[in-house]
Amino acid sequence: MKGKKFKIILGFLLVAIVSLLISIYYYNKPDVNVVKTNAAFVLTAKNLIEEYSADETSTNKKYTEKVIQVNGMVHEITTLKGNSIITIGNADQESSIICHMLSNQSQKALQLVKGQKISVKGVCTGYLLDVIMVRCILVE
Amino acid sequence: MKGFYFILISVFLAQNLSAQDKYLTKEGFISFFSHSIVEDIKADNNQVLSVLDIQTGKIAIQLLMRSFMFKKTLMREHFNENYVESYKYPKATFSGEIKNFDELNEEQTETEIIGILTVHGEEKEISTKVIVNISESEIVLTGDFKVNVADFNIKIPAIVANNIAKTIKVSFELHHKPYK
Repeated sequence: MKGKKFKIILGFLLVAIVSLLISIYYYNKPDVNVVKTNAAFVLTAKNLIEEYSADETSTNKKYTEKVIQVNGMVHEITTLKGNSIITIGNADQESSIICHMLSNQSQKALQLVKGQKISVKGVCTGYLLDVIMVRCILVE
Repeated sequence: MKGFYFILISVFLAQNLSAQDKYLTKEGFISFFSHSIVEDIKADNNQVLSVLDIQTGKIAIQLLMRSFMFKKTLMREHFNENYVESYKYPKATFSGEIKNFDELNEEQTETEIIGILTVHGEEKEISTKVIVNISESEIVLTGDFKVNVADFNIKIPAIVANNIAKTIKVSFELHHKPYK
């Protein structure tokens, strides 16, 4: 009889510990690793902008919160609070892709020149006047 | 929402007539802060779009809810998926007016900003103090105000009710540059 009770208590304890560990893991869950994650979509800046200007709602559903890779030409490079922002686009298109780079990308970003062809991988957060991407890295 | 687009469109249409009157930023900063006994939650957004008409003092601000960055991923996920429902309402907007904009100068930098804030599809009138710093290269707006979570029909489950404040402090810093 005693052994049975002990086993039940042990069982409960085990469940409690496991669920505690799981919740700690979830609570501290790391952000998606852009470097290691394969892009869900690879597309050109032009196509991405065209899709967004044609139908913002469904394009949002397709791309937001996903890691995507965008290929295009550097339009502008700026810095904000120590991180670089690369704008991809053409002068003839009104919208562009604004890529907020991860902090370890600054050195690479500053070596880029206007008009250079690049690939940027990052998380798409949506569309204002431009497509916004965060946590971006340059892809070789 | 319609009102916002009307202002945004009219601001942009008018721009063709007098581009030098428009100031714009695409890298504005807005953050919110929730303090509770259990935890402090802070989120920053560095991708705020704001268009300011210096003739009228009218301003249109737009941001993506998913651009808010939290300390913990789980917070961001709960915020987007459960509380503000970003898949349904991806943006927050503010359209309003800076009072007595033409009377502002180097000494007189403090005024009031009044307008409609739309979050989670709910509109709420906001009026708050704003500091306006005008220099040759930019117009900087800074300030903060408080909002009630309940005003925006945002439902917080009882189990985490103690983790999230009823009143959230919103801070902004918008560096507008002349629109070329």
